Amino acid sequence: MITRRHVVAGAGALTAAAMAGNRPALAQGIPAGYSADYKDLVDKAVKEGAVSIYTSTDDVQGRPLIEAFRAAFPGIRVDYNDLGTNGAYNRVISEAAAKQVGSDIVWTSAMDLQMVLVSKGQAETYKSPEAAQLPAWANFNDQLYATSVEPVAIMYNKSMLGALKPPQTRAELIAFLQTNKETLKGKVASFDPEKSGSGFLFFNNDARTTTDTWELVKAFGGTDPKVYGSSGAMREKIASGEHWIAFNLIGSYAIEWAKKNSNLGVVLPPDHAAAFSRVANISKGAPHPAAARVFLDFLLSQRGQTAMAGSGAPSIRTDVSEGLNIAKLNEMAGGKLKPIPVSAALLEASDPKTRAEFFQKWKQALRG
Amino acid sequence: MTELVVENVEKWLGGLKILSGACFTAEKGRIVALLGASGSGKTTLLRCIAGLEQPEIGRIVIGGKTVLDGEAGIALPPEAREIGLVFQSYALWPHRTVFENVAYGLRLRKRPAAEIKTRVETILDKLGLAHLAARYPDQLSGGQQQRVAICRALVYEPKVLLLDEPLSNLDAKLREEARFWIRKLILELGICAIMVTHDQGEALAIADHVLLLKGGSIVQDGTPIQIYGQPTSFYAADFMGTNNVLSGAYEAQADGGVVIRCEGWSLPGIWRDAEPPRDASDIRAVVRVETIMVSSEPTATSQPLDVEGCIYLGDKWEYRLRRGSVRLRAQGASELSSLVAHCTVQPASTWLFNP
Amino acid sequence: MSLANDAPRFRAGVILALFAMVAAPALLVIYQSVLDAPFFDDNVRFSLDAFRFVLTDPEFYRALWTTTLYAFGMVVVAVPLGGLLAFLITRTDLKGRKWLEPLVLVPMFLSSIVLAFGYTVSVGPSGFVTIAFKSLFGAAPWSIYTLPGIILIGGLSHVPTVYLYVASAMRRLPSDLEEAARTAGAGIWRVSLDVTLPMVLPALVFSAALNLLLGFETFGIPLVLGDPNGILVLTTYIYKVNTIFGAPTYQVMAAVTVFLILITLPLVFIQRRLLRHARRFAAVGGKGARTNLLRLGSTGQAVALGLIGLWLLVSVFFPVGGIVLRAFVENWGEGVRLTEQLTLANFKAVFEIPSLSRGILNTILLAGVGGAIAVAFYLLVGLAGHRNRGRSGTLLDYSVLIPRALPGLIVGLTFFWLFLFVPFLIPLRATLISLLIAYIIVGLSYGLRIIQSTLLQVAPELEESARITGASIYRSWRDVVIPLVKPGLAGAWAMIMIVFLREYATGVYLMSSGTEVIGSLMVSLLTSGAMDQIAALSFISIALTAVGLTLALRLGAKLHD
Repeated sequence: MITRRHVVAGAGALTAAAMAGNRPALAQGIPAGYSADYKDLVDKAVKEGAVSIYTSTDDVQGRPLIEAFRAAFPGIRVDYNDLGTNGAYNRVISEAAAKQVGSDIVWTSAMDLQMVLVSKGQAETYKSPEAAQLPAWANFNDQLYATSVEPVAIMYNKSMLGALKPPQTRAELIAFLQTNKETLKGKVASFDPEKSGSGFLFFNNDARTTTDTWELVKAFGGTDPKVYGSSGAMREKIASGEHWIAFNLIGSYAIEWAKKNSNLGVVLPPDHAAAFSRVANISKGAPHPAAARVFLDFLLSQRGQTAMAGSGAPSIRTDVSEGLNIAKLNEMAGGKLKPIPVSAALLEASDPKTRAEFFQKWKQALRG
Repeated sequence: MTELVVENVEKWLGGLKILSGACFTAEKGRIVALLGASGSGKTTLLRCIAGLEQPEIGRIVIGGKTVLDGEAGIALPPEAREIGLVFQSYALWPHRTVFENVAYGLRLRKRPAAEIKTRVETILDKLGLAHLAARYPDQLSGGQQQRVAICRALVYEPKVLLLDEPLSNLDAKLREEARFWIRKLILELGICAIMVTHDQGEALAIADHVLLLKGGSIVQDGTPIQIYGQPTSFYAADFMGTNNVLSGAYEAQADGGVVIRCEGWSLPGIWRDAEPPRDASDIRAVVRVETIMVSSEPTATSQPLDVEGCIYLGDKWEYRLRRGSVRLRAQGASELSSLVAHCTVQPASTWLFNP
Repeated sequence: MSLANDAPRFRAGVILALFAMVAAPALLVIYQSVLDAPFFDDNVRFSLDAFRFVLTDPEFYRALWTTTLYAFGMVVVAVPLGGLLAFLITRTDLKGRKWLEPLVLVPMFLSSIVLAFGYTVSVGPSGFVTIAFKSLFGAAPWSIYTLPGIILIGGLSHVPTVYLYVASAMRRLPSDLEEAARTAGAGIWRVSLDVTLPMVLPALVFSAALNLLLGFETFGIPLVLGDPNGILVLTTYIYKVNTIFGAPTYQVMAAVTVFLILITLPLVFIQRRLLRHARRFAAVGGKGARTNLLRLGSTGQAVALGLIGLWLLVSVFFPVGGIVLRAFVENWGEGVRLTEQLTLANFKAVFEIPSLSRGILNTILLAGVGGAIAVAFYLLVGLAGHRNRGRSGTLLDYSVLIPRALPGLIVGLTFFWLFLFVPFLIPLRATLISLLIAYIIVGLSYGLRIIQSTLLQVAPELEESARITGASIYRSWRDVVIPLVKPGLAGAWAMIMIVFLREYATGVYLMSSGTEVIGSLMVSLLTSGAMDQIAALSFISIALTAVGLTLALRLGAKLHD
């Protein structure tokens, strides 16, 4: 019957190998700077033969990383499950309760849900050899690691905006929405915090860290606002001209899209450079514990980060030259990049009271 | 030899009793007809024998084997009853050839292929179907289909052959032929056959024994001659033949004779009912149409009646006659030219019953 | 009792197994709804909090109201149009009605998520039709993201279901009834109103009830088109309460589902009763095979063809055109020259990404092989219920109703749990078998209806004569019933295949690496917004459906019963 099959086609390995070309390939070897007994871990991992990943990063974006991993560790098969943020969470807690843990790595953009998993004891503690290369805020008790830095951005349709000057800062955005209220009726989009975990994370973080958030939401509310569950849905509508401008969408995606479509403009507002991260943990009772560790290390390593940055998830390391990295982003944001730290504070976001209060304010502000 | 015993079979459908305690037996080499109007329960009785319906109460024994016993909780499925059934619609399997249709019962009985071949060919040949063996049912005429259905039911030599309205799907000419050859065939094979029919002519022509059913019970049973000539109830008398039915009052005569008094007309007759008159003011007379003699001239026993009209039936004429409120039908060889006809209604043919 | 008690063990076994399969998800949902945490949580307690939350949430009432409007609105759009189409195609001498018929049914075979997506590309605010219309007339006076727009689209896409029922009722209608009215001096339209309409009224009422039910369970169209304006129906509300609490709150999802069951179950019952009546009604008419067609005349032809053309344009060409277009471009909309955008990149990505290409393969496998297995299963159930007037027959009747009242998303989620927590099912979880079982349940009422109506066409005497001849009931099924329904089974297989191809909600929670299916991949891609791949997958899904439909017609599938 049909069961899991090999996830990565052989052809993919070639591209990955080419991408890692600046270094000699060290298939199955010990990466530089790792302790000598790391080889034992790799051997064990190869013996386990597979690593299972529950993620919200879709197959298109995740593919380069997987191919790079396969090139580095050809003996380890990758079962890549794009389940969405809620789907991954659902499956992890259900499987844990059924004592049928199927995930080795849980890697999603729902920072808060991931923190809930950690607090529920569903994460293994593991000190990655790569941890030293990460900023301090990116490692929570060796249980949850940030693997990317992804700022929120403003994206607009150049030809539709026409003579209107696109706002460059958060303050300008508020003024822009207020002054062009009538012209922009039904043309402004943003994330829906009710429908999307990422949307909630952004707006809730904004509300906690800035003073003008509710003013912005209010201004947004005045334009007959349109809210979406994903950045991709917003891109579709901006590119088609149905909407003219969207804010608080995932900037790294927007930058990629703008590269392919010259009609799209992207702004990373320097006065509001919040950034979220995709975070990863090793599942408690993972079926392939060694392979899970090897994969996590790879994900945080320069090579893994290079592969990710190449497909639009800016690296959390400063030594990655492909695409964007945390240093470059900080520079673009005028030194004011504010990543959301991986901390217990995230749990607050999943507190029903906090959420209820937020949604109440959100609805009120939207109504104007 | 008694091949079939049906004892006290009762069947309910919801709150409705469709069979109330039917009892009869049937012998080898004899044909029993279950005759009745629609809704009389005749088909249900046949299906109970076949095992296609399950009666709540009763006992049925086929060829010495008890196939149904309500009290003992025995109810064999149809396939275990060793019967053959010819359906009204013939029910030939459209996806099988004539040969395969007939051979199926032998295959199920795991006969060797060679034996199957000979037996099927023999019976097909006997019924003049040998040349049609390879055809499919939809390539056959109605009469041919009927014969295939009979072959299929007979080939494995069942203890009892059941026929459900076997002639009703044939046209008139074929039907008359079939009456004859089916009877001949069954007598030749010497098996026990039960036939359901609503057509009295069919029952009388084919059967050795007729059971007349009404409302789920047997009204009368007997040979065709008894059933037609000696009915013991109004229902039986009226069901058979073409009749004049008169209502009137019962009057016993001093000479021991019996008379029915209708409006302005008294007819002497004989009391045929199994029971004595229940209500002397309301009885029925049944007079078979063919027993009334009509002439244009009065005779010693005749009564004059007004002629309302004559209907030409091809081989004879039917007369519509009237006297007061009494209307009579009679038959004769020629059209009546006069306005008044003289009829003789014989007392022996005037059968009196409780209604 | 007649022969109902034949093969009692087989019948009871199959029916109990089926009942377990359909009752398990429903019971799990009800159980979950009265808990305060996931049912598998260590500290779980009984609580009515979920119901309390739902009943005090204004969003729920809004969703309920919207759903009601949607369901009734759909009926208002679909029933008259479907009835009219059925009348024109079955009772008049409309030109080209032979090839119009399969075309009219096309929307039924597309998943609503694909349809909705196609509409945004064609008649959305920047859709190609909208832009063309704007350049011709200056403005396009419609918006598909409003409730009326969504209702209209939902209604149009359900015209085929109405058409199917009404058309088959009209076909059964003996034409002498109409002829009698015509000879009595009534004109065509008079006859249609006075004779045809009342005679097919039961079918119209039945399809209205069916559409009402489908309306309450609708998911794909509001999911895609209701998104930007925050228009919620009950099913998308279920989807949303998942996120509103931060973490999935199954008890609330379950409570909403219980409400949905409470609404839909009575509809299912009504529908079942109506069906019985409709059958009886139809049985009154004698031989309906030879129908004399009403003449439309040249003006009538033009008007009718124009009307059908318009409907086809809106219901088939717009959505399918939208998908086809979007699949071959990366950018579209105002100011975009489509000719410069033509690309195969979307398909390239689909075929290069293992999970997506595997999804296509799995979908074909699940629809083809799985469809055949499903038909075999439905046949078993059909036989177990065939001429079964015993108690197990009644149980079967009710078992079939249960899944109708459950949204596919929930069936998928509960089966995910069943495969996780029921020991002997665990090994099947990561295989396509788990999906197949859920699909079989979701497709049960549709599939079983096809099989049952096929089985009923076998005259009882054909089976009885086999029994008399000496065959056991199983032999009679094997030797008589199954050979006779074989052509019907092939057609049923093709129809089930299409149903499985189009399914999307059921797999959302069930699929995992290696068992992806197109429909559910689209839903999961929708959350990350990968429109390029969604478009390509939609196109492939339409292409597969077209192949399936051609196959179905070749195999002599009856689109009507």
